[in-house]
Amino acid sequence: MLAERRRVWLVWHPRAALHASTALPAVLLVLGALFAILKPVFLSQENLISIVHQVAIIGIMAFGMTFVVMTGGIDLSIGPVLAVAGVLAAEVLDKTADSVALATAAAIALSGAIGLVNGVLVARLKLPPIVVTLATLSIVRGGALLMAGPDLHLIRGPRAFLFIGSGTVAGLPFSVLLFLVGAAFFTFLQYRTRFGLSVTAVGDNERAAHLSGLTVARVKTIAYILCSCCAGLAGLIQSSQVHTATATYGMGIELDVIAAVVLGGTSLAGGSGAIPLTIAGVMLIGIIDNGLGLLNVPIEMQLIAKGSIIIGALAITNRDLVLEH
Amino acid sequence: MTGEILLRGTGLTKKYGGAFALADADLTIRAGEVRALVGANGAGKSTLIKILTGAVRPDAGEIEIRGNRIEPGSPARMIEAGVACIYQHANLVPAMTVLDNIFLGRQPTHALGLVNAREQRAQAERLLGGYEIDLPLDTVVGDLPTVKQKEVEIAKALSLDAKVLLMDEPTAWLSLHEVKNLFRTIESLKERRVAILYISHVLDEIYEVAQDVTILRDGRVVAACPVGHIDRPELLRRLVGEKLAREVATHSAGDVNESRRGEACLVCEGLTRAGVFHEVSFALHAGEILCITGLVGSKRTELVRAIFGADRLDSGRMMLNGRAFAPKNPRDAIERGVAFVPEDRHHDGLMLQMSVEDNLVMAMLASVSRHGVLQRRKKAAHTMQQISRLGIKPASPRYRVGKLSGGNQQKVLIGKWLQRGTRVLILDEPTVGIDVGAKSEIYSILKSLKQEGAAILIVSSDIEEVMAIADRVMVMRAGKVHGIYDTVRLTEPELISYIGGE
Repeated sequence: MLAERRRVWLVWHPRAALHASTALPAVLLVLGALFAILKPVFLSQENLISIVHQVAIIGIMAFGMTFVVMTGGIDLSIGPVLAVAGVLAAEVLDKTADSVALATAAAIALSGAIGLVNGVLVARLKLPPIVVTLATLSIVRGGALLMAGPDLHLIRGPRAFLFIGSGTVAGLPFSVLLFLVGAAFFTFLQYRTRFGLSVTAVGDNERAAHLSGLTVARVKTIAYILCSCCAGLAGLIQSSQVHTATATYGMGIELDVIAAVVLGGTSLAGGSGAIPLTIAGVMLIGIIDNGLGLLNVPIEMQLIAKGSIIIGALAITNRDLVLEH
Repeated sequence: MTGEILLRGTGLTKKYGGAFALADADLTIRAGEVRALVGANGAGKSTLIKILTGAVRPDAGEIEIRGNRIEPGSPARMIEAGVACIYQHANLVPAMTVLDNIFLGRQPTHALGLVNAREQRAQAERLLGGYEIDLPLDTVVGDLPTVKQKEVEIAKALSLDAKVLLMDEPTAWLSLHEVKNLFRTIESLKERRVAILYISHVLDEIYEVAQDVTILRDGRVVAACPVGHIDRPELLRRLVGEKLAREVATHSAGDVNESRRGEACLVCEGLTRAGVFHEVSFALHAGEILCITGLVGSKRTELVRAIFGADRLDSGRMMLNGRAFAPKNPRDAIERGVAFVPEDRHHDGLMLQMSVEDNLVMAMLASVSRHGVLQRRKKAAHTMQQISRLGIKPASPRYRVGKLSGGNQQKVLIGKWLQRGTRVLILDEPTVGIDVGAKSEIYSILKSLKQEGAAILIVSSDIEEVMAIADRVMVMRAGKVHGIYDTVRLTEPELISYIGGE
């Protein structure tokens, strides 16, 4: 009785409303407005679609990464997974007389298997994720090179495969569509499914999750498998977009992906994280790249500006989080 | 033995939003005095402590230390003025030695900035000798028993030349025996003219250790007098108000012991975990509360964790409702209808970042989902049912659990097991760190569960609690069952002697 009267103010306290989730969209809007004023073409439909087109690959990878990071892990091996998926697809297309179904299935299955290995090493053997995935990063890259050599493999067809990266549906690039479907799927997964709730629970308090009867190791393993499959899908998009596959694609792409996830407020310590905010993080990176490009900022200045904006955005989001505590 | 006034707070007031967390509170503590500060959760104790440590700036009021006015709102200034706080949860670095912890961050140094080990040790020995505190300087803090860790914190505070010590529930994690040790230390601090503000929910302790008491309710000081001038029922009345006080009193009167014990539900035979507990046998019946009590280190927690499948058993067997029961993990136990509320709510029990609703359904995800998709209506229905049944405040499913009071967090933790199929409820120290009002509510909940036929197993170190709620009590000593007794035929002194405390 006493406690209730005293504490009731907390419910409507303004700080509760001023949640971290407001900061990033605000940054996004301000930056977007700025670019729109400087270059009105920024807001044109074609440009907006092209922004999403540019970020579709890292965006799809960021969905899976969000779950892994939420469980307190990290997956550094997604760059090579992206490459090996493309290489394998090219190989299978070559060997099976252009069976798109087999090629995509093989690529995703291999990616999933790599994720399974990561997951088992991290969740069952309890090895530190950063070391495990650093090691698989090296192994998978080596495997890709072994499979494909250092050369570019041209992918001339079939049209169905090229459609993944270059086709359009009702004016929307197919990869943008994949990104949007992925966004909806992962948002659903996070908020409406048992698995999504378990991911948050495991990240928040692993011991309590175990004592509540959740199978922590399985939840984590599935997160790694999903993350790797996302990287595989990204690899298919990339190789079909540029009509080539090579073992060296995706060098350093994990940094962009992790930056997007962290910008979205997912804590590297695990627990908190939200797919919708990851989308915002991905869009922020896309808008920075696109806006600076439109303004004809030279590439070296672009890199410096991008880094600075990311730090600035993180500082604002983080200040908000600190306020909340 | 009235000393000079070391700390005087007058008219301390703090408002949050429109509500007063603390209204016009006065407080004085004299040298060589222990003043107890009591109040239900939310009565304003934490606000008062935060004002005294400088963590919170009051909206009005003054603080004087030894007659000098101190501008409030700065932790550094309060420490400099000689006010130190021993918090409920240890603020020590477990991997470092006692010596390093005492001087952490302000080690005496040589000219080059290196730690002057000899000087540090000499200072520490002078300090501990001066206050008659006995601590092994080179032991790693994490290896010390809890009471010694408290003493390290006290030593740390004294090394800062603290003259006023605020102790926030110092006994919350201590066994009976350790409490006695702590009281001896407090006694010796008193003799050396330290002023102590002692915050506790345990009324017995207040009568034992304090000379004066300040009672807070709803942010106001409702009484400030020598403890001798106020008896227990009166203190309770002032603390929680008329109605609740009556309820608490009826619980202590032992009316819960009229039990209608059902069939044996959980039968344990010869449970053994090498080096931990040995040959533990007992039967837990449906519709009874069996308390396991004993000193810290008697391995009660370890025993119940093993029953729940969280730790492995080396030998022994269990039967649950007539069928063999050998859980390999908590999941197995939960599937058979066994539930476990761990002692450390924050560490083992709750997802603090998550909502009340998510925490409440955490152990029953299968029954609120179909094909892996959560059924929001079922989830919400279960949540609202538990919130109203347990009286969780605020009654908002989306509220983040980390922001709830300790009592309400405990209710959430119990609520997540109140589902169809739970037959055995195991609770480890269910009321540690919870105020009197919430305690009484939790006792009512357990009582009604018992009447509905649940078999309840409670690990508790609180003798008063055991006597109040248990039908039978099992005393453990050093990993072995010392005996199982009916509480109806048991007196408190007898129980204490069985436990082997004094």
